[in-house]
Amino acid sequence: MSDNPLQNFTLVITGAPYSSQAPQTALAFARAAISAGHTLDRVFLYGDGVHLASSLSTPPSDETHWPKEWAEFLEQNVIPGAACIASALRRGLVNSEEQKRYQLPANNILAPFIIAGLGEWVEGTMASSRVVYFHAGG
Amino acid sequence: MSTLIVIDQPPYGTWAGREALDMAFSLAAFDQSVSLLFMGAGVNWLRAAQQTNGIEQKSVEKNLSAAPIFGVEAMYADTLACAQYGLTPEGMVAGVTMSPNSAELMHQHTHTAFAG
Repeated sequence: MSDNPLQNFTLVITGAPYSSQAPQTALAFARAAISAGHTLDRVFLYGDGVHLASSLSTPPSDETHWPKEWAEFLEQNVIPGAACIASALRRGLVNSEEQKRYQLPANNILAPFIIAGLGEWVEGTMASSRVVYFHAGG
Repeated sequence: MSTLIVIDQPPYGTWAGREALDMAFSLAAFDQSVSLLFMGAGVNWLRAAQQTNGIEQKSVEKNLSAAPIFGVEAMYADTLACAQYGLTPEGMVAGVTMSPNSAELMHQHTHTAFAG
């Protein structure tokens, strides 16, 4: 890292909010990276991490709303955020297009998150200087 | 750029390993160099003749056998983990290379990603 002190990160979050600390730790990392002058190429939600993109999460009012916190951070810093389509569909996270395709009663993707294929992650690994993974652990 | 996807989760009881395998296939589909390393409980992926009817899940063996077809360059099994789980080369699926020094193997790749 010493050769190129400013990094362009891709973050991959695989742990869900409220069952793991992964989204919270990733957001702390992202804020610290931006304030230190680094850039974020994109954020990719994979596996249980896709729950972070749910517009229906409703935590008690005295708890941090991690999906909203993340959505605001992405919008303010103009960072693309994508949820893996295969992970998302398995877990009941759908956009309006998939709602129509599978004739589902609702859609629930929180903007600015979009649904995309794993190619979005592959592109991130090629475009960024570091890829950092945030797993559920345990 | 070369990526080593490390599957350290058991084949059943969690979806993390399956999703890590999809990551490997996706890299290969985009013509990126990718190999798999099975370590810890992940070496159980490599057992031959897995019977999964009782848990209503597809055997991971079929997915694994597709790895060379998709363009995954190599499948490594951590030697120590195989010993811990009583896994011998005879009891393993075909095409697996033993990895006596997995730390060194990770250093040989520019990217390393763990299953979860």
